[in-house]
Amino acid sequence: MSVMIEAFNLTKKFDNLTAVEDLCIQVNKGEILGFLGPNGAGKTTTIRMLAGIIAPTKGYAVIKGIRTDEEVEKLHEIIGLLTEIPGFYGRLSARENLLYFARFYDIDANTQVDKYLQKIGLWERRNDKVGTFSKGMKQWLALARCLIHEPEVLFLDEPTSGLDPESAKVVRALIMKLREEGRTIFLSTHNLEEAELLCDRIAVFRTRLVAIDTPQNLKKRLFQRQVIVELEKADQKLISAVKSLDFVLDVKKDGNQLTVELSDFDKNRPELVRCIVERGGNITSVFEKRHSLEEIYLTLVKEEQEIKA
Amino acid sequence: MNRRIRNIIIKEWKTTFGNINSGLFITLLPLIITAQAFVFIYLLMNFAGADMLIKTILGKGMENWINTFPEIAELSLVDRFQVFFFAQFPFYLLLIPVMIAVSFASFSIIEEKQERTLEPLLATPVKTWELLLGKSLAGAIPSLLITWFCAGLFLAGIALMGSAHLLKFVFNAQWFISLFLLVPLFSLLAFMLGVIASSRVNDPKTAQNIALIVIFPILAILGLQVMGFAVFTLTILFVFSVAMIIAIFLVLRIAIRLFQRESIVVMWR
Repeated sequence: MSVMIEAFNLTKKFDNLTAVEDLCIQVNKGEILGFLGPNGAGKTTTIRMLAGIIAPTKGYAVIKGIRTDEEVEKLHEIIGLLTEIPGFYGRLSARENLLYFARFYDIDANTQVDKYLQKIGLWERRNDKVGTFSKGMKQWLALARCLIHEPEVLFLDEPTSGLDPESAKVVRALIMKLREEGRTIFLSTHNLEEAELLCDRIAVFRTRLVAIDTPQNLKKRLFQRQVIVELEKADQKLISAVKSLDFVLDVKKDGNQLTVELSDFDKNRPELVRCIVERGGNITSVFEKRHSLEEIYLTLVKEEQEIKA
Repeated sequence: MNRRIRNIIIKEWKTTFGNINSGLFITLLPLIITAQAFVFIYLLMNFAGADMLIKTILGKGMENWINTFPEIAELSLVDRFQVFFFAQFPFYLLLIPVMIAVSFASFSIIEEKQERTLEPLLATPVKTWELLLGKSLAGAIPSLLITWFCAGLFLAGIALMGSAHLLKFVFNAQWFISLFLLVPLFSLLAFMLGVIASSRVNDPKTAQNIALIVIFPILAILGLQVMGFAVFTLTILFVFSVAMIIAIFLVLRIAIRLFQRESIVVMWR
């Protein structure tokens, strides 16, 4: 699988402030990488460096073999950037705005603009001034703008920001479709549910890269697998019996629900169930505890904060 | 012309002329400046009179100026004054491209700032020099055309005032240098100053006020010559033009430096 986005010790300093420090990252062709981090973590600065908008203080980045600090114009032919704020000329119509941006590329601007105006559902409003558009409509238009030249690599900074839930769902479907078409997507988002749904890998970032892996591996890495046993009645005698089992590491009670941490999740789970039943426990359900991406994210960011402190 | 530059020019014209205030400013201002010159000359000649003017500082200015144009000395005092005033018009006309260029520069760049369009624009393959040149041509082309149109209007006005016989004295090398060399140079310099000013402030009016410092050399040229402190001969105008070119290059370097992608995206809030 070919690497489309590579960063080597990418660093950006603004006077004494380090916005991005030694970022090393690789994104493969056709992959969606979720870039998560709190506000002010340096996500937008990273995207700007990768998109060749600003130069790194140290290190460099390569997009499909093109150095972002050396061949900027060539780079911009193959990338699409959805900026954090969808800036448009309010006095121009939607079509005029898209045509203006499209004419900087070697494409059939009229055909592409009309195609994308229809695709994003703004065909009927194409001649209306963008100044009269809602935030959501501008966001759609900005998406069309970054796709108009059919780029192979996309940098999307908060793509569903400002969209209603239904539109956000459509945008997510569009992003999935773009991946199916083989495009590589670098997705910065605050929406953890969205990241989990769309991304092949997640990079948690806070000035430095905190962690990068698939959502599943991040969960495995951070959390011991736990089994949740729901009982008709969880009495103290039963809990003590479970705790006394030598393969049980920890037991937490929440009403009639027990959260049990096992030394070997797959091997010990049937034994645990058998033991509870033998001791008179009436089990209503047994399932593995699922950790959300939010938990992973918060844990990682907290760890990073503690390290820095 | 490069298609990207053409694209920028067309878009600039659409946004500028689409705004009624900018459109009126660009079309009405030159006409007002031209009319003002006529009114000024008419009032001086008809209410003060040549006999009175000769005793003022303007008389000294006119006599100094005539010394370099001996053929005019043969004319009557009234005609000498008229030729003297008509000959100042090309310098006065410099105000038009300067004010239009400053207006264009400040509106077009601050619009990019206010609409937050610079980042997506810089993510396209457009080069910084193409962007700058496109914007400056978008301002320079209409301002030059309007200025030359006003110069034509002024010459027609002279004829209509019954002074057609003086046109041969007015229409000299200084006129051509001023119209076809100084007008584009001042226009470019004003645009560059507009770019610099606009990159530092967020309000078009403030940017215009800063960039309008370029008006001072124009007023100085006019004032020095009219009051008899200097006469701008062909040689002086050439030297002045060369100095302007050097100044433009210096200012252009500053403008390009301030137009660095990083400054635009990171510093412009």
